Amino acid sequence: MDIKRDILKRVYLMYGFFLLFGIAILVQVFRIQVVQGQYWIAMAESQTLAYKNIDALRGNIFADDGSLLATSLPTYEIRMDLKAEALTDDVFKKGIDSLAIELSNLFKDKSAREYKLELERARKAGERYHLIKRRVTYLELKKLREFPIFRKGRYKGGFLYVQKNERARPFKILAARTIGYDREGQKPVGLEGAYDKVLRGTSGKRLMQKIAGGVWMPVNDENEVEPEDGADLYTSIDINIQDVAEHALMKQLIKHNSDHGCVVLMEVETGLVKAIANLSRNPDGTYSENYNYAIGESTEPGSTFKLISLVAAMEDGYLDLDDSVDTQGGQVQFYDRVMKDSHEGGYGKISVQRVFEVSSNVGTSKLIQKFYGKNPQQFIDRIYKFNIHKPLDLEISGEAAPRIKKPKDKDWYGTTLPWMSIGYESRLTPLQILTFYNAIANNGKMIKPIFVKEIRKHGRLIKKMPVQVISESICSKETVKKAQKMLEGVVENGTASNLKNATYKIAGKTGTAQIANDKYGYKYESKVSYQASFCGYFPADNPKYSCIVVVNAPSNNVYYGNLVAGPIFKEIADKVYATNLKIHPPLSIEKNLAVTPISKNGSKEDLLVVLNKLNVKAHGRVNENWVKTNAKENEIEIQNLTITSGVIPNVIGMSLKDAVYILENKGLLVKVVGKGVIKNQSIPPGQSVQKGNIIILELA
Amino acid sequence: MNWFANIKGDRVIWVIVILLSVVSMLAVYSSISTLAYKSGTGNQMSILIKHGITVFLGLVIMYYVHKLKFTYYSRIAQIAFWLSIPLLVLTLIIGTNLNDASRWLVVPGLGISFQTSDLAKVALIMYVARMLSKKQNQIKDFKSAFLPIILPIIIICTLILPANFSTAALLFAVCFILMYVGRVNLKYLGAMIGIGIIGILLIILVGKYAPDLVPRFGTWVSRIENFSSGNSEGNYQANQAKIAIATGGITGKGPGNSTQRNFLPHPYSDFVYAFIIEEYGIFGAFGILSLYMLLLFRTIKIVTKSENTFGGLLALGCGLLLVLQAFINMAVSVGLFPVTGQPLPLVSKGGTSILFTGIAIGIILSVSRSIEEDKKGGKFETA
Repeated sequence: MDIKRDILKRVYLMYGFFLLFGIAILVQVFRIQVVQGQYWIAMAESQTLAYKNIDALRGNIFADDGSLLATSLPTYEIRMDLKAEALTDDVFKKGIDSLAIELSNLFKDKSAREYKLELERARKAGERYHLIKRRVTYLELKKLREFPIFRKGRYKGGFLYVQKNERARPFKILAARTIGYDREGQKPVGLEGAYDKVLRGTSGKRLMQKIAGGVWMPVNDENEVEPEDGADLYTSIDINIQDVAEHALMKQLIKHNSDHGCVVLMEVETGLVKAIANLSRNPDGTYSENYNYAIGESTEPGSTFKLISLVAAMEDGYLDLDDSVDTQGGQVQFYDRVMKDSHEGGYGKISVQRVFEVSSNVGTSKLIQKFYGKNPQQFIDRIYKFNIHKPLDLEISGEAAPRIKKPKDKDWYGTTLPWMSIGYESRLTPLQILTFYNAIANNGKMIKPIFVKEIRKHGRLIKKMPVQVISESICSKETVKKAQKMLEGVVENGTASNLKNATYKIAGKTGTAQIANDKYGYKYESKVSYQASFCGYFPADNPKYSCIVVVNAPSNNVYYGNLVAGPIFKEIADKVYATNLKIHPPLSIEKNLAVTPISKNGSKEDLLVVLNKLNVKAHGRVNENWVKTNAKENEIEIQNLTITSGVIPNVIGMSLKDAVYILENKGLLVKVVGKGVIKNQSIPPGQSVQKGNIIILELA
Repeated sequence: MNWFANIKGDRVIWVIVILLSVVSMLAVYSSISTLAYKSGTGNQMSILIKHGITVFLGLVIMYYVHKLKFTYYSRIAQIAFWLSIPLLVLTLIIGTNLNDASRWLVVPGLGISFQTSDLAKVALIMYVARMLSKKQNQIKDFKSAFLPIILPIIIICTLILPANFSTAALLFAVCFILMYVGRVNLKYLGAMIGIGIIGILLIILVGKYAPDLVPRFGTWVSRIENFSSGNSEGNYQANQAKIAIATGGITGKGPGNSTQRNFLPHPYSDFVYAFIIEEYGIFGAFGILSLYMLLLFRTIKIVTKSENTFGGLLALGCGLLLVLQAFINMAVSVGLFPVTGQPLPLVSKGGTSILFTGIAIGIILSVSRSIEEDKKGGKFETA
């Protein structure tokens, strides 16, 4: 069979060709592995890959009203891989002009030409991680993704971005230390630290390649594992009160050239901290939030402790408000030490209530020494029942533990009990004292201060923080009533009478302590160092908020609690009271309380809403949106106020809000002088409008 | 178990197919782990299962194809050939644009997309085998033998060419070898090579001055330019493949330990050979290559045994198609050829490729089965 033999011959020839082909392939494999091996292996090492963590978007910290206290702003670093595998010359040349124009239009930092030249140079240099722009916002990123070339993505367009999260506190200093921070390599502080796990979320993963210069470049378009956002913290901080607290404290600290101070305002029933400010003086004389004194600094509290002493004695049944004590000549000796009242000459024989109101050291210490001198342990036991010897165990770390001495302790002397009774020889933080005062305001129920109300994620509730009760009742209701009466007395006719006001009642206690400095004892910078404080609550009849103010080392010779700390308390309390309609007692409505009010000209709708609410009759037939008013005896007469287009209207007698609206809508620029009702306008009514002209309104 | 009893044809080829399928599963499993990492939700499993089903379907098709007596394929060849021409034209016009190349046609109703060139390949091989065997008596003649054989080849290849240069070239090469084996006049074959070169030059000219007519032209040029210039920065894929091979060493990094899969754009298809070397080393390289050499050898064995020219050429054509494609894929992976995008038959992931590969092997086995049965039946005497 010739044909078959011929065919087979050709087939074997062909097979020989395939054998050679196969050998060539194996030889090439061998060449790559052995001959060029070093080269390729070195190249492999240079392109190390690793999955890098991509930080999740950290949760926000919100104030009570939803204002942002701390937030993470994602910013993006835009890079371009100019040697992207599928970024051909064709694609590059076709898109580069429009890309350069778009980039220039978006960032406005370089001209389109500069961008073009830069990218062309980078492409020539073969840059695989060329920086286009740092700190680009998400909105900008979205636009960038639509740009020519870039819209082709990572492989075809060389478009790369790396997300970086930046933490920002929109309210800057406000509650800064309590919000805190969580930075790498530093001890976490405040709520950021306490709730780090909640806020942090789960990090994602992204495959990155190490390229020349030790930079890591993402390999793919997207993250391999998307990070999961952290949850949000809804704190109890009321940003308005916080603002007042911070500024009131700052003002007083500057005025008295104090070293540092703190303020805490707490909701009586829930323990929610509405404001917490901590300020200390920097070497350059400015003040800022550097340390959380309210939580971390325990000092001898001074006279605010007298409440604890007297409540203990009353709870043990030794004492009533009407009992009297002889304050002698303002001086009493215990062993080798003399106890003095700040008021020279003493107060003579006065009631317990009065002892507290004038903050008599002699009276208080004599009483406590009398009842507990033989058995100081009983006093300590009673105080322990108030739970003030234990730390509050706050969410935020760094709480200083309280120190209440026991008779067994080595440093318990014969003089310890009397001095302890007036607030020395013990150590408490401002927040621990406040917690006790709050319990008195809350009829004996002791509540733990908390800063966070809820944890939410994307608005969905994850956890609601419960009210945490330390003790249902630290003392009997009768004792609470007595304590409240004493505290009210301090403001009514005692050391804090400067806080008294007609609108609402404040209850509280001043404190002025000489403070011991760790190094210098009771003298600091060769002077006696003081701590002025005021702790109390309001409105006294129906306590809603408790507050403590502590100012440390006021150095301008004024160091009394009522004068240094009191005004801060008052300012905050005023603000809280003024903005919180719920705690206002209802007014008794009297007939004909006021005559018909005078109202400004302006928007008809606005006016009618207000008048309606106030039950004031309005009369007049109007069909325009703008009206003039005229107060009559029993009603307000309203008339049309015609606004003709192109003509300057008469805005005299109008409210500024409406006048600006009308005038600026006509294209005029409004400048304002003074306040009140508009009395004069610089361009008289009836003139034709020249757009862009300035019209000056005088208010009085 | 009915099935095993019914498995006929060359057992060695069966074993080769099974072995390659196993390699395919391993390679796909390992190379898609990057994708799975991405989602972390068992996506890997679903990709693997899908691939497994495709491989199994390929085997099933192979089984049924081999059950059919090969002489029927002479008739089927005609139908398939005339069917593939309009399909290819249709693909060129409305085909799904994947990577700028209209290669895919979506089957209406089913939503399955398939590469029409895969069908055309098998159809053309069958048709050429048929024509060659029919014209054996006047094979050296130009008008009565050469023209009727070469025209279908030119038609099909030209229709595939605009969308897929490498497949057209591969198919042409297989047909060319087949014609050579089928004793076509060497004069004409030589002339054809000359015309082919002129044709390629023509395409290049058209591509340069009317790039819209040949949309893939830019890719071809850049691939070949990159390849011939050896530009180390530009030839990213090829370099990554070489790194894979170099770091694989003699025994490889072991299954699932590839690092280059993150850099190779298609570790489970175009560069699967480099990927296999990375994980299984020189042993893997040699093993895979040997399997294809063996497949070709067994096919030749069938040709030697075949008493029927059509059967012999049909089996050889199908074998050549697979093995040449495999060699080209391997040559691309090791950097002997410019990047083409030819999958490794039976190994690479890819639906239609595996299914038509099943058909091709099924045909080989069908021829082999007939030989076995003829022997038993003693219808013909052995040569």
